[in-house]
Amino acid sequence: MAESPSKSSGRLSPRARLRLRKLSQFFFLGVFLALFLWSRREFYLNPAAGSEFKGKLVNLPLQLDPLVMTAQILASRTLLSAAALALITIGITLILGRVWCGWFCPIGTVLDWVPVRSWKKSRPMIPEGFRSIKYILLLVILIAAALTNLSLLIFDPLTIGYRTLTASVWPALDKGITALELSLLKIPFLIPAVSAFDSLIRPAIFPPHPAVYRFGLLYFGFFAAVVGLNALAPRFWCRYLCPLGGFLGALGKFSLVHCEISESCTLCGNCLPSCPTGAIQKGERIFCDPGECTMCLTCAVDCPTGQVTFPARSTTFLHQPYDLDRRKALISLGTAAVGVGLLESGWLSSGHSSKLIRPPGAENEVLLSTCIRCGECSTVCPTNAIQMAVLEGGPGGFWTPVVVPRIGYCDYSCRACGQVCPVDALPTLTLEEKRKQVIGKAEIDRDRCLPWAENTECIVCEEMCPIPDKAIELEIADIQTATGEWKVIQRPKVIRELCIGCGICENKCPAVGEAAIQITAHKHKGQSGGRKQRGTGKS
Amino acid sequence: MTEFSRRNFLRLLAASLGSLGSFYLAGCLDQSKLLTKSIPANKITSTPFLANPTALEDPSNLTPDGSEVDLPTSTPSPTLSFPDLAVARGGEPEEMVRSAVRALGGMERFVKAGDVVVVKPNICVAYHSYEYAATTNPWVVGAVVRMALEAGAKKVKVLDYPFGGSAEQAYQISGIQEKVNQAGGKMVVMSGIKFIETSIPSGKNLKTARIYDDVLRADVLINVPIAKNHELARLTLAMKNLMGVIYNRPAMHASLGQRLADLSTRVRSHLVIVDAVRMLMANGPTGGNLSDVRKADTIIASPNIVAADSYAATLFGIEPEKLTYIKKGVEMGLGSGKISEMKIEEINLG
Repeated sequence: MAESPSKSSGRLSPRARLRLRKLSQFFFLGVFLALFLWSRREFYLNPAAGSEFKGKLVNLPLQLDPLVMTAQILASRTLLSAAALALITIGITLILGRVWCGWFCPIGTVLDWVPVRSWKKSRPMIPEGFRSIKYILLLVILIAAALTNLSLLIFDPLTIGYRTLTASVWPALDKGITALELSLLKIPFLIPAVSAFDSLIRPAIFPPHPAVYRFGLLYFGFFAAVVGLNALAPRFWCRYLCPLGGFLGALGKFSLVHCEISESCTLCGNCLPSCPTGAIQKGERIFCDPGECTMCLTCAVDCPTGQVTFPARSTTFLHQPYDLDRRKALISLGTAAVGVGLLESGWLSSGHSSKLIRPPGAENEVLLSTCIRCGECSTVCPTNAIQMAVLEGGPGGFWTPVVVPRIGYCDYSCRACGQVCPVDALPTLTLEEKRKQVIGKAEIDRDRCLPWAENTECIVCEEMCPIPDKAIELEIADIQTATGEWKVIQRPKVIRELCIGCGICENKCPAVGEAAIQITAHKHKGQSGGRKQRGTGKS
Repeated sequence: MTEFSRRNFLRLLAASLGSLGSFYLAGCLDQSKLLTKSIPANKITSTPFLANPTALEDPSNLTPDGSEVDLPTSTPSPTLSFPDLAVARGGEPEEMVRSAVRALGGMERFVKAGDVVVVKPNICVAYHSYEYAATTNPWVVGAVVRMALEAGAKKVKVLDYPFGGSAEQAYQISGIQEKVNQAGGKMVVMSGIKFIETSIPSGKNLKTARIYDDVLRADVLINVPIAKNHELARLTLAMKNLMGVIYNRPAMHASLGQRLADLSTRVRSHLVIVDAVRMLMANGPTGGNLSDVRKADTIIASPNIVAADSYAATLFGIEPEKLTYIKKGVEMGLGSGKISEMKIEEINLG
């Protein structure tokens, strides 16, 4: 991916190379957005088999991400064929340095674009030692992964990108545009134009009915924090925090091509502030740390005497004080071990909620050690049934997929989540298999159900039930109302043997607020019971 | 030319927003008028056996002194030479639709040159192919689209609002999309913003509903339900099929019969074609068992929704007036539920 801007053509002027880099950033951000948009419709619209390749294509960015893939392999203890693609990134980094960060990463691109205009005249000095945070975070992620925990992958930049787009940016854009359309619809002569515009964007770009994601502010806040830190230093996130940056930086130390400042440098220092990651430092002479350099080529443009070159020459590895050392490695090991221990032993959570309904085919324990928290299943879920868990899964299950039937039901004809999952944490099922997956069981609250509690006619849950033989039956009862008159009424009952927990009954239940029929998590085949499944019951 | 500064840009922006805003405010003030104006109120198909013709009168058709306005564009009044209802049996779906509509006077009686026609099949779920009889037969829908275009329709839109699965998926899986595209019609994915709050002046229980804009604006609405089982309504036919064009459907379920009749007074089906090629006898409306499907090879066509539904009910061996929505429809003067009183033309193709 990132190799396309060929740097072998040394004849290009520094300025032209810089333009090429910006073009590459623009292009890959476009690709990232295009794949995101495409994935939203492609999978549920084509539920037939044969879309596995499309899944691979949609997930190309994640499969190229070596941090996600390494951690996933460590935790799941299975080698995914798709992970081989990450070797491309590793190879490119060993040759060209952190070009991923400077030329490809969509988050990096956004950070480059956000103007850094500090409200103070002088920016606070960030200690150089902060740079080690990303290395420590990287090691903690990898060690925790080796202990089967993937919780901290929420800090991977690509998963941040997907989650932010899915759960905050896109729904917010949708809401904004819908509000605008509704206002303009009040103006009679604009109705045809708005109507035509609406059919252009829906369902092609936005869903026909507004998407709903819980805690949109949380996802946006996370992203806003990443961006907002730019106020302290340009690309603050990439310099100090990004674990993928740490991964690629550690490799970049050994890269063949790197930034070199020649002996004849006049020490004017122009390059020092121009470097967005502060990789260029001034000691006895000016030098660049290849582990921090994103190959953005800005310095080459800003050097008045053309002393900055990017030769392909292996050099000795220069250890910087902020690089990893034994002490930091031990800190990471300790943190990871204690953290995973606390999570797994249940000291931090009191077991899972009965609302922890996983998407079809996923088993909770397996999911926790395979899911990379990218939220792509949530992106493609056409009904927004798949949300990212915040409380349901305890701290260890933070931002793993959970089905929330009141928001969306698991569509009987859809298997998009399994097709799109880049790491098979949600299995790819055939439509026949998916229709048999039990993700939960429906339970009726007879104190709130209209026919049971109020003798009002209502059969919505039965009507909606997609099971061919209906997992909800209607019991006919002759009842006497409070006024003494007799009435024949149909009252719904769940046939638990048939129910697969798709949740359309809960979703469509006309009760105000919480539904009078609700899905609770159900023990899957082969899933261990015990503490974590406490309270979910068997049937 | 003035300099394009920020100040000038903001001025321009303020001026354009201000002018749009005044229209917006005008729109807000005049909302009720706007709503009724967006509805072709003159599109009433008169029915041959109105028990209580005044029940259908729309207030907007009346002049201040109460006398009825002469509507130049009203559909031609059916003469007694046409039957109230036509039933075709035993042929290919398209053949049956064509002969049944021909018996009613041909599609030209309902669709005029240049009309925008909306065809409303039942595509309620995205679960199964047409064989399972949860969705209207694709050949029937295709035939209706083709006939409307042959009669000179400017545009034929086909739409439904499935409750299970997305519309695009349902259009595809039901097979209707393919046949409609072949026939030259357009499948429309209904957008949430285009359901317009509309008053139902003749409604007894349902006084307002959010109804889909394209349906309100259509010159002709052809209602093409499939005959199938439904636990609350007992059968879902043409009147029940109209639920697909309104937004808040769960709310309909309380006093469903009356509300369906109310809705039928506002959303007029100019022609009803009940698809009983395959009938879903149980586990409706979603279906999924071929054993619940009965092949009946029957098409019922009528300009009167109550008549069409009443006849269709008899195919299930159900007394029409046992269905609450037919009973309420008859009470409101929408039509007759008595088969014996109808002038029926039966066509046997088999």
